[in-house]
Amino acid sequence: MRQESVVIIGAGPAGLTAAHECIKQGMRPIVLEKADKVGGIARTETYKGYHFDIGGHRFLSRINNINRFWQEMLGEDFLKVSRMSRIYYEGRFFNYPLDFFNASFNLGLTESLLILLSYFRAQFWPYPEEETFEQWVSNRFGRRLYQTFFQTYTEKVWGIPCHKIRADWAAQRIKGLSLVVAVSNALLGVQQAKSLVGEFYYPRKGPGMMWERFRDAIEAGGGQVRRNWEAISLKHENGRVASVTCIQGKKTEEIPVGHLVSSMPVSRLVAMLEPKVSDKALEAARRLSYRAFIIVVLIVDKEDLFPDQWIYVHSPEVRVGRIQNFKNWSATMVPDPKKTSIGMEYFCNEGDRIWTMSDEELIDLAAGELSEVGLAKTHDVIDGVVVRQPKAYPIYDDEYEGQMTVIRNSLKTIENLQTIGRNGMHRYNNMDHSMQTGILAVENIMGAEHNLWEVNEEERYLEEDKQAKVGRVVSEKVLARAFARMDKLAFATAVGSVSGLLLFLATMWLVIKGGHAVGRNLQLLSQYFAGYTVTVKGAFIAFTYSFVWGFLFGWLLAYLRNLFLALYIYGVKRKAELLSLKDFFDHL
Amino acid sequence: MKTRDEAPRTEEEKLFSGILWLNAKALGLVLGLLFGLIIFIATNWLVIKGGRSVGLHLQLLSQYFIGYRVSFVGSFIGFAYGFAVGTLTGAFTGWIYNKIAAFRA
Repeated sequence: MRQESVVIIGAGPAGLTAAHECIKQGMRPIVLEKADKVGGIARTETYKGYHFDIGGHRFLSRINNINRFWQEMLGEDFLKVSRMSRIYYEGRFFNYPLDFFNASFNLGLTESLLILLSYFRAQFWPYPEEETFEQWVSNRFGRRLYQTFFQTYTEKVWGIPCHKIRADWAAQRIKGLSLVVAVSNALLGVQQAKSLVGEFYYPRKGPGMMWERFRDAIEAGGGQVRRNWEAISLKHENGRVASVTCIQGKKTEEIPVGHLVSSMPVSRLVAMLEPKVSDKALEAARRLSYRAFIIVVLIVDKEDLFPDQWIYVHSPEVRVGRIQNFKNWSATMVPDPKKTSIGMEYFCNEGDRIWTMSDEELIDLAAGELSEVGLAKTHDVIDGVVVRQPKAYPIYDDEYEGQMTVIRNSLKTIENLQTIGRNGMHRYNNMDHSMQTGILAVENIMGAEHNLWEVNEEERYLEEDKQAKVGRVVSEKVLARAFARMDKLAFATAVGSVSGLLLFLATMWLVIKGGHAVGRNLQLLSQYFAGYTVTVKGAFIAFTYSFVWGFLFGWLLAYLRNLFLALYIYGVKRKAELLSLKDFFDHL
Repeated sequence: MKTRDEAPRTEEEKLFSGILWLNAKALGLVLGLLFGLIIFIATNWLVIKGGRSVGLHLQLLSQYFIGYRVSFVGSFIGFAYGFAVGTLTGAFTGWIYNKIAAFRA
């Protein structure tokens, strides 16, 4: 057993995975969790026997190790679920991922045609600048489709107009649009992303079940997962965190630290360091912003309301952003099969009007909106409960990159401190990504030298397992060689020179050989090459003609080769962009 | 300020920034085999077709390819000559292309 004293703050997916990894390495970590449950935002809450998820967490990953990890942890309690989700917009339900025929039917012929025209308009006359999410989406899918499907939902999720969301963010989130990936997929017929859309895994009793198994495994291995313990101060000296002070009710404890791994919001971490870090870093931490989230769970006295796991609500008339039907994720999420529990999700900011509404007001609002979208009658709602989740999503606003640079520079002076997970790194990681940062952090404790910040910026590191990563790097190199431009002038000159030389030599050979009638057949070339004769002078004329024709032929060949490759790549990219439209909202 | 052209440039640069380099030996080998096979097949085609005067025009190749004639044995000789000329042509084309492309790059 190693005697490293590892303290991990936060028992979400990242923190628990880091602790589990510590156990595997023979260490006994202490995990401090402020809440009474493990799992962070991926926990499962319970109300009168109804289990519900804070946001709907699908378990799917391109990282094979993480998939194996999940399977091993839950075994038969890890259910494979066929996905069913739709979009609600203007009183109609659209299949989601989007389906061309269903969308056209719901929108009607006129609107579909207008969307099509708008798409072509965007292809020929795009916004010359692509600075905002609005411009980015409009340029790819047309402005009308943007207004129909993208604008209202995105603005509900992020609470800011689409023209204030940076285009970079969309490009970063929609990874299927990577040109290199799209081209290699087209060439190799890889459709991995597609297979991820149709089904996913889910723990029998909600995602919290997974993290409870992690907790059990950590405790069985000699680690501690202390719930209701809140870290309040971190003492650091000589470039190392020396101890963490935490409280539980009136109890206070100072725990010595060998290594500290933090998944709590980085803004709080910075504020907690003693002695204080620079004013600049404190200010940067203070200015980081987060989106909060409220889920209003309604118990409805109906057996079957709708078949979806969740519905995206794009209609601006209602404030709800997404509607979950938990029994469609797993039947055991509800204790009474004759009833249904519905999660009405509201994206908001801490302290705003919706955040400060009372639970009763929120339940009334949610029940009214559930009725307004036509999924249930208000009088069928028999009970409800509200869960508020602060700091649910880090916001990528105009300033966040600069602020994070300041914070990172400040934190990197503390050598035994690592930050992991979504809030720990202020990155919009999914569960698997967060877990991966936890694993890498422990590898660092064991002597590896992963730069977690760098790794997290290099998104593909987290997207794929090592084998896929190697494959991708290789294919990138191969693709770069295969699609490299042919130098038209060089090829034209080479073909011209060689063909000129061949004809020069052919003529000279016959001249040197001599004979009764020199080059009678070759002389026929003069039909095309005016002035050509099978003589020494003619050989030079032949060289000139042949060079010119060879040059033109070579140039045209190289030009067409480059043109067709460029057209091929353009087509593949456009197709990938249109395909990404199908499951665009899963990435938001 | 990013423009539509600039935004995907990093991605497209990965594919388009490079200049294609020709493998002169491979190009030579390919053209050599191609030339050789064309002569081999063309010769044997006429041999199989037969007739009163076989391959009167193709026989003109013997002006350059000493020993070549339109016969089964001649087709192998033609293949050897075609291969040699094709190899030299391809390799030389590739070599000149690479030199000029390198100079321009």
